[in-house]
Amino acid sequence: MGKLTIGCFSSLVGSLSLDFAVKLANTAIKKGHTVDFWVSGNATMLSKKGQRAFKDYSALMKIVQEMTATGKFQITACEACAEARGYHKEDTLEGFKRHSMDWYLASSFSADRVLHIGGD
Amino acid sequence: MRLGVLVSDFRNVDDTLSRLKADKLGLILVGNGVYLAAVKESGKPSQVLGMSPDIYALTEDLQTRGFSDADVDKRVKTITYDGLVDLIFNDYEKVIWI
Repeated sequence: MGKLTIGCFSSLVGSLSLDFAVKLANTAIKKGHTVDFWVSGNATMLSKKGQRAFKDYSALMKIVQEMTATGKFQITACEACAEARGYHKEDTLEGFKRHSMDWYLASSFSADRVLHIGGD
Repeated sequence: MRLGVLVSDFRNVDDTLSRLKADKLGLILVGNGVYLAAVKESGKPSQVLGMSPDIYALTEDLQTRGFSDADVDKRVKTITYDGLVDLIFNDYEKVIWI
Protein backbone atom coordinates (compact mmCIF):
# COMPACT_ATOMS: atom_id res chain seq x y z
CA MET A 1 0.00 0.00 0.00
CA GLY A 2 1.18 3.57 -0.49
CA LYS A 3 0.56 7.19 0.22
CA LEU A 4 -1.03 9.55 -2.30
CA THR A 5 -0.87 13.32 -1.84
CA ILE A 6 -3.44 15.31 -3.79
CA GLY A 7 -3.38 19.07 -4.08
CA CYS A 8 -6.48 20.69 -5.53
CA PHE A 9 -7.06 24.33 -6.38
CA SER A 10 -10.40 24.04 -8.21
CA SER A 11 -13.60 25.41 -6.77
CA LEU A 12 -16.30 23.31 -5.12
CA VAL A 13 -19.00 24.60 -7.44
CA GLY A 14 -18.48 25.34 -11.14
CA SER A 15 -15.64 22.89 -11.60
CA LEU A 16 -15.77 19.07 -11.62
CA SER A 17 -12.11 18.68 -10.72
CA LEU A 18 -12.65 18.80 -6.96
CA ASP A 19 -15.37 16.15 -7.27
CA PHE A 20 -12.92 14.01 -9.24
CA ALA A 21 -10.16 14.48 -6.67
CA VAL A 22 -12.43 13.53 -3.75
CA LYS A 23 -13.72 10.42 -5.57
CA LEU A 24 -10.14 9.41 -6.40
CA ALA A 25 -9.12 9.86 -2.76
CA ASN A 26 -12.10 7.84 -1.57
CA THR A 27 -11.28 4.96 -3.93
CA ALA A 28 -7.62 4.98 -2.92
CA ILE A 29 -8.59 4.75 0.78
CA LYS A 30 -10.97 1.90 0.10
CA LYS A 31 -8.10 0.07 -1.60
CA GLY A 32 -5.98 0.45 1.54
CA HIS A 33 -3.82 3.45 0.64
CA THR A 34 -3.52 6.61 2.73
CA VAL A 35 -4.27 10.02 1.29
CA ASP A 36 -3.20 13.53 2.21
CA PHE A 37 -5.46 16.13 0.63
CA TRP A 38 -4.49 19.80 0.31
CA VAL A 39 -6.95 22.48 -0.82
CA SER A 40 -5.89 25.91 -1.92
CA GLY A 41 -7.51 28.84 -3.71
CA ASN A 42 -11.22 28.40 -4.35
CA ALA A 43 -11.03 24.77 -3.25
CA THR A 44 -10.91 26.09 0.33
CA MET A 45 -14.70 26.39 -0.04
CA LEU A 46 -14.68 22.70 0.85
CA SER A 47 -13.46 23.54 4.38
CA LYS A 48 -16.38 25.81 5.18
CA LYS A 49 -18.85 24.75 7.86
CA GLY A 50 -22.58 24.76 7.10
CA GLN A 51 -22.57 23.74 3.44
CA ARG A 52 -26.00 22.52 2.32
CA ALA A 53 -26.48 19.52 0.05
CA PHE A 54 -28.83 20.16 -2.87
CA LYS A 55 -29.85 17.46 -5.33
CA ASP A 56 -27.98 18.44 -8.49
CA TYR A 57 -25.20 20.29 -6.72
CA SER A 58 -21.76 19.12 -5.77
CA ALA A 59 -21.96 18.18 -2.08
CA LEU A 60 -18.71 16.70 -0.84
CA MET A 61 -18.84 17.53 2.89
CA LYS A 62 -20.31 14.17 3.96
CA ILE A 63 -17.84 12.04 1.98
CA VAL A 64 -14.94 14.13 3.33
CA GLN A 65 -16.07 13.56 6.90
CA GLU A 66 -16.49 9.83 6.25
CA MET A 67 -12.99 9.60 4.81
CA THR A 68 -11.54 11.55 7.74
CA ALA A 69 -13.18 9.07 10.14
CA THR A 70 -11.23 6.19 8.56
CA GLY A 71 -7.98 7.55 9.96
CA LYS A 72 -6.35 7.04 6.52
CA PHE A 73 -7.17 10.52 5.24
CA GLN A 74 -5.94 13.96 6.23
CA ILE A 75 -7.35 17.12 4.72
CA THR A 76 -5.82 20.56 5.10
CA ALA A 77 -6.83 23.97 3.81
CA CYS A 78 -4.42 26.76 2.96
CA GLU A 79 -4.83 29.22 5.82
CA ALA A 80 -4.05 32.29 3.75
CA CYS A 81 -6.36 31.30 0.89
CA ALA A 82 -9.17 30.61 3.34
CA GLU A 83 -8.73 33.84 5.25
CA ALA A 84 -8.56 35.78 1.97
CA ARG A 85 -12.00 34.37 1.15
CA GLY A 86 -13.46 35.15 4.57
CA TYR A 87 -13.27 31.64 5.91
CA HIS A 88 -11.88 31.92 9.43
CA LYS A 89 -10.94 29.31 12.01
CA GLU A 90 -14.43 29.31 13.49
CA ASP A 91 -15.93 28.72 10.02
CA THR A 92 -13.89 25.58 9.47
CA LEU A 93 -15.38 22.09 9.30
CA GLU A 94 -14.41 19.74 12.10
CA GLY A 95 -11.56 17.44 11.03
CA PHE A 96 -10.23 19.99 8.55
CA LYS A 97 -6.76 21.31 9.37
CA ARG A 98 -5.45 24.74 8.37
CA HIS A 99 -1.78 25.33 7.57
CA SER A 100 0.54 27.24 5.36
CA MET A 101 1.73 25.56 2.16
CA ASP A 102 4.65 24.02 4.06
CA TRP A 103 2.25 21.25 5.04
CA TYR A 104 1.58 20.43 1.37
CA LEU A 105 5.29 20.40 0.51
CA ALA A 106 6.18 18.16 3.46
CA SER A 107 3.36 15.81 2.54
CA SER A 108 4.48 15.68 -1.09
CA PHE A 109 8.05 14.81 -0.11
CA SER A 110 6.89 11.84 1.95
CA ALA A 111 4.35 10.60 -0.58
CA ASP A 112 4.66 7.69 -3.03
CA ARG A 113 2.59 9.57 -5.59
CA VAL A 114 1.62 13.22 -5.90
CA LEU A 115 -1.21 14.61 -8.02
CA HIS A 116 -1.53 18.39 -8.33
CA ILE A 117 -4.76 19.65 -9.83
CA GLY A 118 -4.62 23.27 -10.87
CA GLY A 119 -7.20 26.03 -10.61
CA ASP A 120 -10.67 26.20 -12.19
CA MET B 1 10.43 7.85 -16.42
CA ARG B 2 6.91 6.42 -16.53
CA LEU B 3 4.56 9.41 -16.77
CA GLY B 4 0.79 9.28 -16.41
CA VAL B 5 -1.04 12.33 -17.74
CA LEU B 6 -4.58 13.00 -16.54
CA VAL B 7 -6.17 14.89 -19.42
CA SER B 8 -9.18 16.79 -18.10
CA ASP B 9 -9.99 19.01 -21.08
CA PHE B 10 -11.16 18.45 -24.66
CA ARG B 11 -9.53 21.50 -26.19
CA ASN B 12 -6.02 22.96 -26.06
CA VAL B 13 -4.19 19.79 -25.01
CA ASP B 14 -2.53 18.59 -28.24
CA ASP B 15 0.35 21.07 -28.11
CA THR B 16 1.20 20.33 -24.47
CA LEU B 17 0.96 16.58 -24.98
CA SER B 18 3.16 16.65 -28.07
CA ARG B 19 5.97 18.25 -26.01
CA LEU B 20 6.02 15.60 -23.27
CA LYS B 21 8.89 13.09 -23.30
CA ALA B 22 8.78 9.93 -21.19
CA ASP B 23 10.04 6.35 -21.39
CA LYS B 24 6.43 5.31 -20.96
CA LEU B 25 3.67 7.85 -21.50
CA GLY B 26 0.14 7.01 -20.44
CA LEU B 27 -2.81 9.29 -21.23
CA ILE B 28 -5.72 9.02 -18.80
CA LEU B 29 -8.81 10.86 -20.06
CA VAL B 30 -11.04 12.20 -17.26
CA GLY B 31 -13.73 14.87 -17.03
CA ASN B 32 -14.22 16.61 -20.36
CA GLY B 33 -11.07 14.86 -21.58
CA VAL B 34 -13.18 11.77 -22.27
CA TYR B 35 -14.64 13.56 -25.31
CA LEU B 36 -11.29 12.86 -26.97
CA ALA B 37 -12.09 9.15 -26.77
CA ALA B 38 -15.51 9.34 -28.39
CA VAL B 39 -15.94 12.46 -30.51
CA LYS B 40 -14.93 12.78 -34.16
CA GLU B 41 -14.48 16.15 -35.87
CA SER B 42 -14.88 16.30 -39.67
CA GLY B 43 -15.18 12.53 -39.48
CA LYS B 44 -11.77 12.07 -37.91
CA PRO B 45 -10.90 11.01 -34.34
CA SER B 46 -8.65 13.25 -32.25
CA GLN B 47 -4.94 13.13 -33.07
CA VAL B 48 -4.34 12.75 -29.33
CA LEU B 49 -5.31 9.08 -29.73
CA GLY B 50 -2.16 8.56 -31.78
CA MET B 51 0.17 10.05 -29.18
CA SER B 52 0.55 6.98 -26.96
CA PRO B 53 -0.15 3.24 -27.09
CA ASP B 54 -1.54 3.46 -23.57
CA ILE B 55 -4.71 5.53 -23.47
CA TYR B 56 -7.45 5.15 -20.88
CA ALA B 57 -10.81 6.82 -20.27
CA LEU B 58 -12.77 7.00 -17.02
CA THR B 59 -15.99 5.04 -17.40
CA GLU B 60 -17.97 7.21 -14.97
CA ASP B 61 -17.14 10.38 -16.88
CA LEU B 62 -18.02 8.74 -20.23
CA GLN B 63 -21.38 7.62 -18.88
CA THR B 64 -22.27 11.01 -17.33
CA ARG B 65 -21.69 12.49 -20.78
CA GLY B 66 -23.94 9.95 -22.48
CA PHE B 67 -21.32 7.70 -24.04
CA SER B 68 -21.36 3.90 -23.96
CA ASP B 69 -18.43 1.57 -24.60
CA ALA B 70 -19.56 1.28 -28.23
CA ASP B 71 -18.86 4.99 -28.74
CA VAL B 72 -15.26 4.73 -27.53
CA ASP B 73 -12.35 4.49 -30.00
CA LYS B 74 -10.81 1.01 -30.08
CA ARG B 75 -7.39 2.38 -29.02
CA VAL B 76 -8.82 3.52 -25.67
CA LYS B 77 -9.20 1.24 -22.65
CA THR B 78 -12.02 2.18 -20.27
CA ILE B 79 -11.23 2.13 -16.53
CA THR B 80 -13.06 2.73 -13.26
CA TYR B 81 -11.76 4.75 -10.32
CA ASP B 82 -10.45 1.46 -8.95
CA GLY B 83 -8.39 0.92 -12.07
CA LEU B 84 -7.20 4.52 -11.98
CA VAL B 85 -5.81 4.12 -8.46
CA ASP B 86 -3.94 1.00 -9.60
CA LEU B 87 -2.52 2.82 -12.63
CA ILE B 88 -1.30 5.66 -10.40
CA PHE B 89 0.39 3.42 -7.88
CA ASN B 90 1.61 0.58 -10.12
CA ASP B 91 2.09 1.77 -13.70
CA TYR B 92 3.36 5.34 -13.47
CA GLU B 93 5.98 6.98 -11.22
CA LYS B 94 4.77 10.51 -11.88
CA VAL B 95 1.27 11.73 -12.58
CA ILE B 96 0.37 15.17 -13.85
CA TRP B 97 -2.92 16.93 -14.60
CA ILE B 98 -3.60 19.03 -17.67
